Amino acid sequence: MSEEYAERARGCLLGLAVGDALGRPAENLPPEEIARRWGRLTEIEPGRGGTDDTEYAIFAASLLVRYGRALTGDDVARAWREEIVGKIEGPMRGAGFSELGTVQALRRGLAPPMTGRWHPHGWSDGLAMRAAPYGIFAAGEPEEAARLVAVDGAVSHSGEGIWGGRAVAAAVAVAMTGAEPSTVVAAALAAVPEDSWTARNLRAAVAVVAAHGADVAALNPRRPAVIGDPHEALSRELHEAVVARHYPWTDLAPEAVALAFAAYLTGGGDVEESVVVAANLGRDADTTAAIAGALAGAGRGDDGVPDRWAAEIGPVAGACLPGVAGRHVLDVADELVERALEPVEGT
Amino acid sequence: MSSGEIGPDRRDRRDDRGDRIAGAVIGLAIGDAAGWPSARHRSGVLAPWSRRLHRELDGFAEEHRVTTLPVPFTLNQPVRPLALGPSDDAEWLAWTASTLHEDRAEAFGRLAGRDDLRARISVRTALDNLAGGRPPPASGHDNPHFFDDAAAVRAVAFGAAGLDPTRDAQVTNAGDGVLGARAMAAAVAALVGGAPMTAAVAAALAELPDDTAIGHAARAALAAARRAGDAFAAVPALDAVLFDHVYSYGVAAAQTVPAALALAEVSGGALPAAVSAAACLSPAADSAPALTGALTGAFSGHAALPRGWSAAARTLLGCCLPELAGVDLLDIAKGLA
Repeated sequence: MSEEYAERARGCLLGLAVGDALGRPAENLPPEEIARRWGRLTEIEPGRGGTDDTEYAIFAASLLVRYGRALTGDDVARAWREEIVGKIEGPMRGAGFSELGTVQALRRGLAPPMTGRWHPHGWSDGLAMRAAPYGIFAAGEPEEAARLVAVDGAVSHSGEGIWGGRAVAAAVAVAMTGAEPSTVVAAALAAVPEDSWTARNLRAAVAVVAAHGADVAALNPRRPAVIGDPHEALSRELHEAVVARHYPWTDLAPEAVALAFAAYLTGGGDVEESVVVAANLGRDADTTAAIAGALAGAGRGDDGVPDRWAAEIGPVAGACLPGVAGRHVLDVADELVERALEPVEGT
Repeated sequence: MSSGEIGPDRRDRRDDRGDRIAGAVIGLAIGDAAGWPSARHRSGVLAPWSRRLHRELDGFAEEHRVTTLPVPFTLNQPVRPLALGPSDDAEWLAWTASTLHEDRAEAFGRLAGRDDLRARISVRTALDNLAGGRPPPASGHDNPHFFDDAAAVRAVAFGAAGLDPTRDAQVTNAGDGVLGARAMAAAVAALVGGAPMTAAVAAALAELPDDTAIGHAARAALAAARRAGDAFAAVPALDAVLFDHVYSYGVAAAQTVPAALALAEVSGGALPAAVSAAACLSPAADSAPALTGALTGAFSGHAALPRGWSAAARTLLGCCLPELAGVDLLDIAKGLA
């Protein structure tokens, strides 16, 4: 049991890391431009590694290893002050609006949850991108995974950004049991209010996949995209369903989470297909592919991650968070499992 | 300011509700005109190539490291649009006033699908949501700029007419965006009824819970402005208290509404001082001056406003809603009275 647990945990964070790395060059590009440059983007740029998604997920995992289920908002704020705010020298590299907004709020002396409300990017996908470790830690317990990620998220997010984090954490917790993708998506929906942007976008994305997914799943993901093919139709309809077209940034959690789950469903839970579909949808492609990879990797384990991709994942550089430099996602996954299996104090 | 440009003292006019409503509307237009973004919005009626050249000149300035930045210009085109005048906020206020008693989703629904409008991100997204089957309040909630002050601007019309702005606000906004609208309407309603500025600001604050960004910011801004002592002196303090300079658009209600409340109060309701100071808050200069002008104009009444400013601000250009070109805001104000 614990060996299977460890394999799924490694698969989850390795899937996150390869998604981050594959999606990296496609971030903020429209699908047409991705198709023009790569046909279909299926290969990680050699030697580049991942971005903020991997490093912030490692940071979140470190909170869980330290505090476990007793994690509080004060713990999270203290960690941000000491390990993020205190280590920024000059530019805050690789940070989105929500991270820098949070840093500025902390510098003002604010505390959670006001730090997550003070800046207007409470809806960013910055919590969803670091949510997977909560699902690993609370494998099989989607409600606990969602509770814990919301404790973390209060420092930097509010509203839909929290829902996005809860959706991903709960879904990973269920994917860690080897559940079918449709069951995993249902867990995501159960973790967010029915009357929310995230829920509406998830339902809309699921409906689009239901109409097109079977056609796309029948294709080899490495096949080049051609005009009129099912990938193109799926991509167009997903964008119409969940992308806010009059907003110039791509970091909205309700949008990114919906695209990520749509890719995961389209890929049928296969790591390579899910990640490739997500990366080729564009928008916040590193984050959406990272989430799709985390979901699929949790289900399939580290053996499910293509070797040629896994070979590109080394220790992180600390380009965004200097405090996590040198950490490897596989070691982080093992630590999470070890911590999760510790007897609960007092029992 | 010479005394000849200032109208009678407010104490002589407490019963003149109509004049104070006109003051709210023209005051908003004056503030709208005073902010630097107004000329950029107004250049929307010029040929698109002139704005393309503007973007290219920005690139030229970057490439050549010249500090002489391009400003909106005309070439072989009418120059009138670039004269001092109102733009987006005044036009959306006028549209709101002229549709005030209609169902809000229906009124906005008529705008959905039009390709000749200019509006904030919240409004553009809400129109897409309405067309795509997400009626209010989802239209304002499932919205990347749910927090902006589009509804707070429109709420000036609701406040002047003594109506609740919530249903209107929910079409395009949620959270702080709706709270900002409720605060503006509460303040304007109190002011057109003759309330002192401190009472109007208190009425606004009562709409803004402490544990929201807008509530926290409003109290911090008021405290900072009171410490500074006057409107112009408050500018650096408000810049420090309200702005993190992180995000790319300066129309968050949690910043602009608190700035307006603070400057309206610390100026004692004097539009010239308050709007001038708001226009100095450059990240928020698109709408903070307009909201400040609405509050102080409602306090002093139209007759007390500088004549030259009223003349420059009262006629709409149609840069956001083309059908409003030539509309006189004093007629709009009469409709609200």
